[in-house]
Amino acid sequence: MGGIFYQLKAVRKDKMCIMSFFLPVVLAILLTAIGGVDLSSLEEVNFAVCKQDFTPEDIEWLKTYGIVHIYETEDDVIAKINDPATNILGVQKTGNSIKVLVSGDELELFKEIASSLPAIYDQRGDTNDIEVEVLPQPNFIANYKYVFIAVILIIAMFMGCVFNAMNMVSEKEEGVVFINEILPMTKKQYMLQKIFIGFIFGCLSSILTVCFSLRLALKYIPVMLLLIVLSAFISALVGMLIGKLADGILIGITYVKISMIIFIAVPLISYLLHLGETTVGKLCYLIPSTATFEGIMGMVNGNTTEVEKSIVIMTLHSILWFVLFLTIERKKENS
Amino acid sequence: MQKSFCSLLKKDLQMMISGKFFLLALGSLILYTLFINLGYVNFMKAPGYGVYMYVPQGVSYPEVFSDKIEVVQSEQELYDCLSEDTNGIGIMYKGKEPEFVLYYGSNTIDNHRIAYAQSLLKEKEFEDPIVVGKNTTEEKQRKEMSCELLFIEIIAVGFLGIASILFKEKQMGVMRVYGITPAPKAFFILSKLLVFLISDLIFAALLTIFNVRSSEAFHILPRVLLQTGILSLIMALIGMCCSLLLKDFKQFSLAYLVVALFISAPVFLSANTSAQNSWIKWHPFYHLYMGMKNAFFDFQSEGIVYFLLCLCSIFLLFWFVKMAFMRELSKEG
Repeated sequence: MGGIFYQLKAVRKDKMCIMSFFLPVVLAILLTAIGGVDLSSLEEVNFAVCKQDFTPEDIEWLKTYGIVHIYETEDDVIAKINDPATNILGVQKTGNSIKVLVSGDELELFKEIASSLPAIYDQRGDTNDIEVEVLPQPNFIANYKYVFIAVILIIAMFMGCVFNAMNMVSEKEEGVVFINEILPMTKKQYMLQKIFIGFIFGCLSSILTVCFSLRLALKYIPVMLLLIVLSAFISALVGMLIGKLADGILIGITYVKISMIIFIAVPLISYLLHLGETTVGKLCYLIPSTATFEGIMGMVNGNTTEVEKSIVIMTLHSILWFVLFLTIERKKENS
Repeated sequence: MQKSFCSLLKKDLQMMISGKFFLLALGSLILYTLFINLGYVNFMKAPGYGVYMYVPQGVSYPEVFSDKIEVVQSEQELYDCLSEDTNGIGIMYKGKEPEFVLYYGSNTIDNHRIAYAQSLLKEKEFEDPIVVGKNTTEEKQRKEMSCELLFIEIIAVGFLGIASILFKEKQMGVMRVYGITPAPKAFFILSKLLVFLISDLIFAALLTIFNVRSSEAFHILPRVLLQTGILSLIMALIGMCCSLLLKDFKQFSLAYLVVALFISAPVFLSANTSAQNSWIKWHPFYHLYMGMKNAFFDFQSEGIVYFLLCLCSIFLLFWFVKMAFMRELSKEG
């Protein structure tokens, strides 16, 4: 117990450690704050036209399909189309029809919009009385927001990994590791203290992040806590493994960077590409954060089977990682 | 003089090798190359709108329509298609006139989707747009991602690398030894800058050649290397500045977090989307990023003012680092 007290004291003095645990919480607050900002202009199509080409009526017509940017010369229009930051489409008028200019590097959707525009211009008189049924949709940004929140939660849960790894590497660099050798403390006690600190702070950071960013149904709160506990436990173990393997701060940073990229990218790609039921999708569950991510998205969408599945997978992962960790420990002791 | 500079250079190179800096750079290069070639280029796709049509039996409808329209067998199937492809448009013939069904996107996008479905229904001919650029979609994606990753690598990893070396030297007492050697003090800074500059230039060249992969890679390389050089010098100097002024590596990590997250995030958002913030023009890294991006896309040049400002800031930072270094030396006695 006394050992844990000293570990906590070391954490209190370590601003970096406190900052890294609070970072996901700050991100969650920021995301909640900007949630109200209208980002729908990102979904709009942008058109560039030359001032002398178009009559005000034509510009009004174009404005019904996107945002119109008016330029003085043809060269300005072409420069804007070629600007790599935007997907802007140039529109030219020749006689009674229009032509669309593209840079050729657009995504398929924008090319399709460009090729359809002259035909739509031809039929501009016929669009008066048509029946349209618009189905309400939870807006795109709301969906993105939940994906962001899930990613931030993964960062929070796996912060314990970063902390444990960096802490152990800096102990190695500062020579504390030699002092530990002569302290009246068994290896087991030392390991437990380290896992405990990364685990507890990972849990706390995740719980705070959840409080600030998610409004969950009551029945999911205990499940969420279980998911947090399992993820933080695995991440603390991964952190310990990295700390053991890395022998310098830079190599430690490399390992942490690679594992963070894998932890974030694998579930994100699997989710965005709907890989769930395919073989590749199933293989993604080999990375523990995939189950966490799917579990969080399951809770947000009220999909209980997905949540149950992710809890089972995370429990299996916890056992596997713990066994792996113990095996490596024993091998090291024997050698 | 030349000899002392060479031995300093050799020492810095050895420090980088022992600090596994090159291993980190090589790891990043492999990771980024794999990501661009296997991941980004294959996954970033946005197909055109799907159009689905349902005509109940006995209802008359235009027999001739575009083959881009997919005919479905029931009303339910149409709604199912739309819920899977939320960008899609449904056409339903309940009476004589068609009814269009779609999920709300934005007012203008919805207008376009309806008009698009109408033109398909009338079997209007679409004409290919006139191409005025020189990149294909894949080339653009490759250049865009290479540019972003190179930028991140230099501002994040290069920044971190120089700091880790300086802190190690501080710890080892190299500064104290340096204080009593007769070599000019600026050499200490210059040798580090040179080593990092060369390693960043090699990294940039390899990343460009492996990932841009068209004959254009060699054409754009000089401009990319120039921008990399500017960015590398600025970041190395800022990194040195921070590590000379801050107490230890952990404190430095705080500064690093600020740089990596709060400085680069708005730059990427403004440079890659049409969401423009007016204040972003005052963000110096935005211009550096745009310089890099324009180099990759062989787009308009930055002009003499940009290069003069870069040169001035490099000199200013160099002077500042030298002052901080002298302060550190006097502190060390």
